[in-house]
Amino acid sequence: MTGPDGARRGSRAPYLFVAPAVLLFLAFLAIPIGYALYLSLRGLRLTGGGIFGTRQEVFVGLDNYARTLADPDFLAGFGRLALYGLISVPLTLGPALLFALLLDYAGARGRRFARTAIFLPYAIPGVTASLLWGFMYLPSTSPFSYLTQELGLGEIPFLTGGGIYPSLANIAVWGGVGFNMIIIFTSLRGIPAELSDAARIDGASEWRIAWHVKIPLVAPALVLTGLFALIGTLQVYGEPTTLKPMTPEISGVWVPLMHIYTSAFSRDDLPLASAASVILAVGTLVVSVVLLKVTQKRAFGGMS
Amino acid sequence: MRIRGVSGSIAAAGLAVLLAACSSGTNGSGGDGAGGATQAARTGPVTLQFWCWSAGQKEKVAAFNKAHPDIQVRHTDAGGGTDTAAKLLTASRAGNAPDATCLEYQTLPAMIVAGALADISAHTGDIKDAFTPEVWSLTSFDGAVYGVPQDVGPMVMVYNKKRFDELKIEPPKTWRDFAAVAADVRKKDPDAYLATFAPAEFGNFAGLAQQAGSSWWKIEGDTWTVGIADGPSMQVAAFWQDLIDKDLVKAQPLLTPEWNNQLNKGNILSWPSALWAPGVLYGIAEKQAGDWAIAPLPQWTEGDDRVAFQGGSAIAVTKNSKHVQAAATFAKWMNTDKTAYDLQIAAGEYPASLAGQQATTESEPPKLVSGQKDYWQVAAQIAKRTIPHISWGPNVGTAQSAYQDAMAAAVRDKTPLVDALKKTQQVVVDDMKTTGFKVAGS
Repeated sequence: MTGPDGARRGSRAPYLFVAPAVLLFLAFLAIPIGYALYLSLRGLRLTGGGIFGTRQEVFVGLDNYARTLADPDFLAGFGRLALYGLISVPLTLGPALLFALLLDYAGARGRRFARTAIFLPYAIPGVTASLLWGFMYLPSTSPFSYLTQELGLGEIPFLTGGGIYPSLANIAVWGGVGFNMIIIFTSLRGIPAELSDAARIDGASEWRIAWHVKIPLVAPALVLTGLFALIGTLQVYGEPTTLKPMTPEISGVWVPLMHIYTSAFSRDDLPLASAASVILAVGTLVVSVVLLKVTQKRAFGGMS
Repeated sequence: MRIRGVSGSIAAAGLAVLLAACSSGTNGSGGDGAGGATQAARTGPVTLQFWCWSAGQKEKVAAFNKAHPDIQVRHTDAGGGTDTAAKLLTASRAGNAPDATCLEYQTLPAMIVAGALADISAHTGDIKDAFTPEVWSLTSFDGAVYGVPQDVGPMVMVYNKKRFDELKIEPPKTWRDFAAVAADVRKKDPDAYLATFAPAEFGNFAGLAQQAGSSWWKIEGDTWTVGIADGPSMQVAAFWQDLIDKDLVKAQPLLTPEWNNQLNKGNILSWPSALWAPGVLYGIAEKQAGDWAIAPLPQWTEGDDRVAFQGGSAIAVTKNSKHVQAAATFAKWMNTDKTAYDLQIAAGEYPASLAGQQATTESEPPKLVSGQKDYWQVAAQIAKRTIPHISWGPNVGTAQSAYQDAMAAAVRDKTPLVDALKKTQQVVVDDMKTTGFKVAGS
């Protein structure tokens, strides 16, 4: 801008244009991640001064990582996630695909209403949804338990024992089906009508068209929704935290993110929480890359 | 041309976001703003930032500001006791903690160890006698004073007198009676329980254990002793275990929709807790106003009358504050002035100061217990006999979360409560050792 040379100004333009993106990336992604990594190597240790001594931040090396990986509660959290994910991921994606196919089927009636009705739960904030379902799970306010009790079958153990997993997964499924359905549905609408028409002329039934034409073509959307569901599972926090006061089944360290929150704000050990966050983030990255590698050939192989 | 125009506008939007972020950053660091204001107004009043969550603070602060033209306090509700403590630690490390803040007594040692609080003993010589020695010892450690006591919660038994009368039972005097009455209730009304055992009630159990003679943290020289799994604590755990095993009390979380519903149905007959409980229960069972009453907490030995505190808070001054003296003046006024404690009583809190406690005897009982005419006299009698110096440790937050998880697991898996205490003890001791504290006997 200062130079009189027009060519030089031109060569600077690209940098100027990417500067905002780079600055935003540095300020809100790179620096915070770097700080979390730095914090994860620090620890609050007692030094002299004050009547009981004072906790000061010092370098502790990989101590926080060692403590986190040796903590059975942290590892158990991943086990719970696995159980929860085994229920919630297939039950979110299956119905989402089914509903998308039904909405895409030319003969379906009341499509606009159905689409809105299925999508609506996604618009309910997670905490509200959890509270709403929480009330429907608690024995003395649950309409389901009321019915079973009237029938002499006793109350349904929604919040006790293993019942907590389907109960929590149900909240995620209820809220997530609509969102995933829209993604798959949008992808279905992008399939040229000639392909289905050609199959139909060849005498294929609607089921065969769905199975052999539509589903293979929306595979990228299925991979995408699958990835979202998987990452969503690893980041489960809101639902169990909201239900926690209602049941002794959910501890303060029930899933990894709750463990991280407890370390940071109940135990006042931000460095330990940082180390656990780094481990969770790396784990998420590895799972995502593996999922993409495994599915890439099948999903995208024929496309490019 | 078209493309350039688009990217240009994107760049502009990006810059706008950045600028917004920057400007909000400068506004956000409230400490600077306040510091600037007080510096600019060296001739004018000092401005203090103050965090507190409890009821009636707004009115008390307004009254203080009116009475002190040279000190103006800005009040913020930073969330309940646990939230405020967590936020204070973060703010303190960032160097922008408020000048004064409410803190629960149990979080004070952790704050001291974090270096967050200022010693105000130089300013409190004139108000020490406004409190009983037991209450004063809640905020003073080894001659240093880290806050002025605000409200206290001497432990009492709150009970549904109407239902007690219906079932023809009396409030138990000892814990042995408590077990007998609990059995009686189950016999007379199979839907009802005398009380519930809530696995998350850390402070409540600590108070019960202390009443039995336990001391959860002790320091001698620079060596700590942790007694979360000491004899008296184990005895209290075994007592509740027995009641749970025999289905005489129900083990379930407190103040959930489920618990509230049972309470409203008249199926939960009492809550061994503290003097603030009538206010809490009125919030969930308005219809039972007038039905409830308080009685002294049952004792381990007949004829005893000592009880522990559960809950309560003090106003502390932070190390970050540039106006320690003004903040100390504020903390003192808030907890000893007549205008302040009158407002505090009106808001339903039980004052920590002797004069405040005296003043309650002339006020109406809280709505939930409006039928008990001598409510405040009973309260004052109990408050006089509290156990001196509950000793909290430097990692109460860790203890609380470990206790809650271990107890919840014990209740869920039907494993012994005493094992949960041992596990909590282990977590607390390990955490203290990792930090670098000397811990005895382990």
